Amino acid sequence: MAAQDATTSALDAHGDARKRHVAGQPNGTFVPVIPRVPDEKEKAKHKTTSLLQTLDDYEFIIAPLIFTALAFFTRMWKIGLSPIVTWDEAHFGKFGSHYLKREFYFDVHPPLGKMLVGLSGLLAGYNGSFEFKSGETYPEELNYTYMRVFNSAFGALCIPLAYFTAKELHFKRPTVWLITAMVLCENSYTTISRFILLDSMLLFFTFTTVFTWAKFHNQRHDPFSPEWGFWLMMSGLSIGCVCSVKWVGMFGTALVGLYTIEDLWNKFGNLRMPKVELAAHVGFRVVGLIILPLMVYMFSFWIHFLILENSGPGDAQMSSLFQANLRGTEVGKDSPLEIALGSRATLKNMGYGGGLLHSHVQTFPEGSQQQQITCYHHKDANNDWFFYPNRDEPLFDPEAPLKFVGNGDTLRFVHAQTGRNLHSHQVSAPVTKSDYEVSCYGNTTVGDTKDHWIIEVVDDAASSDYSKIRTLTTAFRLKHADLGCYLRAGNVNLPQWGFKQIETTCVKVNKPRDVYTHWNVESHWNEKLPPGDPGSYKSPFLRDFVHLNVAMMTSNNALVPDPDKQDDLASAPWQWPLLNVGLRMCSWDDETVKYFLLGNPLVYWGSTASLGIFVAMLAWYLIRWQRGYDELTWAQVDHFHYSGIYPVIGWVLHYLPFLAMARVTYVHHYYPALYFAILCAGFIVDWYTRALPKRVQWTLFSVLYAAVVGLYWLFRAISFGMEGPNQQWSHLRWLEGWKMADE
Amino acid sequence: MAPKTRSPAPAHRETQPTAAQPGTSPQKQMVQSSPNKPPYPSYDYTSKGVRDTSINKLASSDYQALAVVTLIALFVRVFRIYQPTQVVFDEVHFGGFASKYIKGKFFMDVHPPLAKLLLTLAGWLAGFDGEFDFKDIGKDYLEPGVPYVAMRMLPAIFGVMTVSAMFLALKVAGCRTFTATMGALLVVFENGLLTQSRLILLDSPLVIFTAMTAVSWMSFTNQHELGPSKAFKPAWWFWLAFSGLCLGATASVKWVGLFTIAWVGSLTALQLWVLLGDTRNVTARIWFKHLFARIFCLIVIPIAFYMAMFAIHFVCLVNPGDGDGFMSSEFQSTLNTKSMADVPADVAFGARVSLRHHNTQGGYLHSHQHMYPEGSKQQQITLYPHKDDNNMWLLENTTQPINWAIDPSGNTTIPGPMAWDKLDPEFITDGSVLRLYHINSDRRLHSHDVRPPVTEADWQQEVSAYGYEGFEGDANDYFRVEIVKSLSHGAAAKERVRTIETKFRLVHIMTGCALFSHKVKLPDWGFEQQEVTCAKQGTLPNSIWYIEQNAHPMLKEDSDKVNYRNPGFLGKFWELQKVMWVTNAGLVESHAWDSRPPSWPILRRGINFWGAAHRQIYLIGNPIIWWSSTAAIGLYVAFKGLSVLRWQRSCNDYQHDTFRRFDYEIGMTALGWAFHYFPFFLMDRQLFLHHYFPALFFAIMALSQIYDFVMFRVGRFGEGTFSLRGVKHLPAVGMVAGTLFLALSIVVFALYAPLAYGNQWTKSQCQRVKLFESWDWDCDNFPATYEQYELASTFPGSGAAAATSQAEHGPPPPIAEDPSKDVFVTGGPVPPPGGSITEEKIEYRDENGNLLDAEQVAALQGAVSFSTRYETRTRLVDEHGNELLNEIVGEDAGGYAGTSADGVDPGTANAKGEGQGSAAPPRVGVKEDVRKEKAVNDARATAEPESEEVVRETGRDEL
Repeated sequence: MAAQDATTSALDAHGDARKRHVAGQPNGTFVPVIPRVPDEKEKAKHKTTSLLQTLDDYEFIIAPLIFTALAFFTRMWKIGLSPIVTWDEAHFGKFGSHYLKREFYFDVHPPLGKMLVGLSGLLAGYNGSFEFKSGETYPEELNYTYMRVFNSAFGALCIPLAYFTAKELHFKRPTVWLITAMVLCENSYTTISRFILLDSMLLFFTFTTVFTWAKFHNQRHDPFSPEWGFWLMMSGLSIGCVCSVKWVGMFGTALVGLYTIEDLWNKFGNLRMPKVELAAHVGFRVVGLIILPLMVYMFSFWIHFLILENSGPGDAQMSSLFQANLRGTEVGKDSPLEIALGSRATLKNMGYGGGLLHSHVQTFPEGSQQQQITCYHHKDANNDWFFYPNRDEPLFDPEAPLKFVGNGDTLRFVHAQTGRNLHSHQVSAPVTKSDYEVSCYGNTTVGDTKDHWIIEVVDDAASSDYSKIRTLTTAFRLKHADLGCYLRAGNVNLPQWGFKQIETTCVKVNKPRDVYTHWNVESHWNEKLPPGDPGSYKSPFLRDFVHLNVAMMTSNNALVPDPDKQDDLASAPWQWPLLNVGLRMCSWDDETVKYFLLGNPLVYWGSTASLGIFVAMLAWYLIRWQRGYDELTWAQVDHFHYSGIYPVIGWVLHYLPFLAMARVTYVHHYYPALYFAILCAGFIVDWYTRALPKRVQWTLFSVLYAAVVGLYWLFRAISFGMEGPNQQWSHLRWLEGWKMADE
Repeated sequence: MAPKTRSPAPAHRETQPTAAQPGTSPQKQMVQSSPNKPPYPSYDYTSKGVRDTSINKLASSDYQALAVVTLIALFVRVFRIYQPTQVVFDEVHFGGFASKYIKGKFFMDVHPPLAKLLLTLAGWLAGFDGEFDFKDIGKDYLEPGVPYVAMRMLPAIFGVMTVSAMFLALKVAGCRTFTATMGALLVVFENGLLTQSRLILLDSPLVIFTAMTAVSWMSFTNQHELGPSKAFKPAWWFWLAFSGLCLGATASVKWVGLFTIAWVGSLTALQLWVLLGDTRNVTARIWFKHLFARIFCLIVIPIAFYMAMFAIHFVCLVNPGDGDGFMSSEFQSTLNTKSMADVPADVAFGARVSLRHHNTQGGYLHSHQHMYPEGSKQQQITLYPHKDDNNMWLLENTTQPINWAIDPSGNTTIPGPMAWDKLDPEFITDGSVLRLYHINSDRRLHSHDVRPPVTEADWQQEVSAYGYEGFEGDANDYFRVEIVKSLSHGAAAKERVRTIETKFRLVHIMTGCALFSHKVKLPDWGFEQQEVTCAKQGTLPNSIWYIEQNAHPMLKEDSDKVNYRNPGFLGKFWELQKVMWVTNAGLVESHAWDSRPPSWPILRRGINFWGAAHRQIYLIGNPIIWWSSTAAIGLYVAFKGLSVLRWQRSCNDYQHDTFRRFDYEIGMTALGWAFHYFPFFLMDRQLFLHHYFPALFFAIMALSQIYDFVMFRVGRFGEGTFSLRGVKHLPAVGMVAGTLFLALSIVVFALYAPLAYGNQWTKSQCQRVKLFESWDWDCDNFPATYEQYELASTFPGSGAAAATSQAEHGPPPPIAEDPSKDVFVTGGPVPPPGGSITEEKIEYRDENGNLLDAEQVAALQGAVSFSTRYETRTRLVDEHGNELLNEIVGEDAGGYAGTSADGVDPGTANAKGEGQGSAAPPRVGVKEDVRKEKAVNDARATAEPESEEVVRETGRDEL
């Protein structure tokens, strides 16, 4: 065998022999990492008092101060130049107004960022009366500059965070400066931080998450020390905040989660660690990284519910009981408490974001072609139903004594507007083919037993007596008497012919805990009954919290673009790292101060290239390791692992999910991922310049600093506002998609 | 040797052997050169504890066992394969494709062609002429004389081969012959695999090719693991190349084969990684040789095979068919009779043109003498896929040309749309403003601020044809040509409009919107043609048009001509792949019998394939085999989880050969299961139980392998005080256990067999084995006793009753293997056998189905075109020779009149009642509803073909 090898690849064998290292000898190709501490001590011994030396010694305070000052300047200079509502200020400013007016609204994002916007409005003395219509000029009394400054502070604070994070990741000083400069001189970060948007806050909390994670990681040799505990808790707090601003924060959480899993897995493999200690490690992390963030997240919702105590545009997304507790609502007002035959009522689906049982004169275009039944959030008279006795009983007599409805009763539901009965039959539902269709059919006399529904009470918040159905509090299911199926309204929307309302079907499978089959009475009218106050029962916070979150998720997924419509603002995720597309944030006429969302080309292209280089590098070292070249020391492997691989994982986590998302995406969705790409770029520069002579290093870094700052300066107008005709900037239109100037 | 070895041993510290990675079989050690550096691996890629299990080394007893299980399989699979004599489930599609192949009519299907070609071959060899359309489930095979038995034999033979493949796979995996026999018999008696392989379906070919891939790949893996001495030897090459061929075949049956490729691919990557680490035996040159051998065999061969299948596909399908509408114009022009004569290239004012939509295959801009029922109520504009005079438009300039001949001052113009016919052609360029004059109706293309008929978006507006003969038109008729330069071919085509070569937008001058069309169909009043609108923010591809037909009286004969570019094989191949992908991803509509992946391993629900005459075919697995195979996978996952935890805690499990081999061998199989199961979770399209079959094959394999290890190989379970001695030394125990399990499986198989074969069954037997509500076959469908099947055929009226639904079970086929059971006749008059007496008659009917007499036909001769439709009807004659009307017999047929009302009666005329109701008036009468309900009732539990059926073209127009 050996002979064979020698003959087939003698050259290789020689090469191998040359490359193999003798144990104990340092690897010639790598300059070993010189520990920083003795280095500084050595310098101190020289006691040189030159200015340069002082600067060098106090770099850790001088540099961040300068960077922070520049950050505040770039983020806030001429911030009030454009007096019109720009881009998504229309949304977030409006949500801020809702907080000031304390009206309940519904949105797909968690509340923390929007509450901060509200806070800035409060501090600016704004009363919440402005509608924030896109492109409208701000009124005199609204100090929008103050609100923007408040927002931009978050964006500015990212820069010192980037500086300290880079330090915690053990990069060399020039690399630390490079990373900070890349964040500082990043046009897209600058632009997005200068308006009343959530992105500056999202970026800020993403930066704090990375920073606290790096801090915590550096405490690993001293577990359970106060400092260790402090940074663990800070990580948890930061994760909680970032998730409370936008759900994108979950990706940052996943990064810290992966780190924690790896960390614990290694500790699990350490046979010398006592089991109690291992359990303590697990326990601390559960508290710090799961319970604490969850508390922060829930706390933000708790405040949200506390502030928004008035009825507003978002009521319909919530449960009836929640609505009844809002001030100024119609729900539950003067409604009689218990339902009797002959009552008129609306039926609310108790599923997350569920609507009201609805019918209209339009018919199904297929199936039975009878009148449509849907579920719909909008409140109108087409949601009203009469509770009627079933066909085996005598006809409803308005003069007869009241008969209350309870668990197990068989009834009919008559649509108030058209007089038809809620009906189901063995026709496949229009979309969910495995369910039965539910339609509206016949009238009070025409019809059959397929109009019969049996009430099955699931739960009653007010009483354990199920013999009567109560407004708001009773959750019941409606079982079809003939078919045994249950009335259900899921999350499926009908096609255009059903006006995209929610499909309502009769589901064959009996799942008592499926909340989409649960219904309650929302509004109730019956002249013969005394008005009650069913809203006196409080809706439990936890239930509202879960309900709202599921509703948010549902509507977030529903933000699907119309495939036929050309959306100039939207972009595909593959375009982001290549920076081949920008975004016009406002109208493009000559009078408007124009802002164009586009990054610094060097930062984008450089960081994207560094990701590619990193993957190639990883493959290179892995293959070499597998071939038996142990060229890296543990210290280098650790540096590679925590300062290289983790940022790249962070990028992957913040970027790849967008590729899988069906919802409409915009360039600013890439910004959190960009930070990780910048860190990766720093890592690559740092890794490959370690072995270079000082002079070459400084030349290289100077060129990089100059290029980053120069390009930022070149593209400054798109961030600070373009006044006058857009043709002035046609020289910046390097690529087709950079539409800062019309062609 | 000397230069290859590492520095002398004392310099190395061998770290604890437990640091070996779990799951890799080779002998691996970690070497650390210095304490401040991470250890690196060092090993020999030859796996310990592996023996050569090549198929050519099988003992003769193995061959005997193989022959026996194959014979058993043959009997079990082919038994009564002629039953039922009707179209079942997706035979609708795959039989239909066979007939299209034979006729050469192009069709589009989401599956690659191999299995369909094989089915066609089987039918063709048996004499099938393609004259049967397999249109509905329940359509009779016997009377048209379809050689369906031959076509079903192909999947059946594949099904038998699957059994042999399982035997071989287990032998190659190193199992005992007893285990291999047991595993193969488990496949034989798996009801689901059986059902699927007795019908004209794709799953049996898919499973056999997957199984053959498994056999060849495991053979190769075995050769590979034996180390450098076997590498690049004939057996090694053979199995590698054969694996590639099988992969190609699997992927050419269904794209599910990509999962098989992923399985093989990931194991290949692992092998290459292990090879890379063996610095003693594998030099860089050898490693690259390994790499390129695998690239060639596992990438190049499958792709070549796959493409070859499509080449055959294109060779077979040369005529236009119902799949044309999916393909681009270039593609269509390669089909016979669809190819087009060369067209003049330059387009001038006054040209008669047809405009084609670029992005959808909706066809030509079309108008006809029908009005929009709402909106402006002007004449409709649609996209129509076929060539037709109503597609012809005349391109007018916005101003009429000046008649210099009459009035030299230039104040008189030539009126009318034909004004340009005598003038020298003035070419239409980028930016020209024109009017489109519809020649047949004398109206012009027009748009205005009215919402379109279907799409109620505020950024789109209606397009209509407006005007009358002699009408001068108005400004809303003006459209500007904007050439899309990036899509136009040739420099000239970017400057002026040229036929086919120039792609352009038509922008409405008054409102700025562009003529637009998208995949939205108009309702019945628009003949389901595609909607055309004018969109202000429409996507670019949907706003692009080009000219296909072009004629101008003044263009000379020798003027520049163009035609569609021939896409060539690669172009056609690639386009078809894209269309298949998009169509496949678009099959998201839910189906009455679909199911999601989580329900498969627990066998929650089956599929109703067919039902008639109180028999039913319902796809359901053998619960015993199914659940225990799932449990086997679960057991392995639990084992793996525990062993990884123990590995991290530095327990020395992986130093035991048996432990390591168990982990590796079962792991490989379980990985195959995972690759054929989990990707389905990512799919939005409708899924069915039969998508689990490839995974099921691996699961049964894992079950058998685990059985083999536990009974015959493991000497001891656990360590220390908790250890348990294995039954390795008592093979009888293992054999008895295996036999008992097998016997139980066979009993359960027999219990559910009537649903697989479509045999007679009784209600009580059915209810006894229907363990769950979710197993939703209908027991009420079956009679109380078997005698009633005979009664049904003896009772004079009921013989006819059965025949009401097109002679459901038909007469006993002559090839019945066991006539005593199958013949229904025990006396009394015999209904005439369907196939023996055939009468032929030609009827003429108009489009509404009214019978025309000879006079009317003569009057219409020449004025209209007749299309021929073949129809088979069963005429029932009683013993006196009087014809019985189907409807009447149906009403009072004895026997099971009751069951026909709510029983499973799919494929009968009743089923069509569903969804065919007229446009229901707002007030529905009770009777109507009751009738509708009844129709619906009858349609309940109807078998439906999987809707992989491609959307049929709606080629109807009001010509």
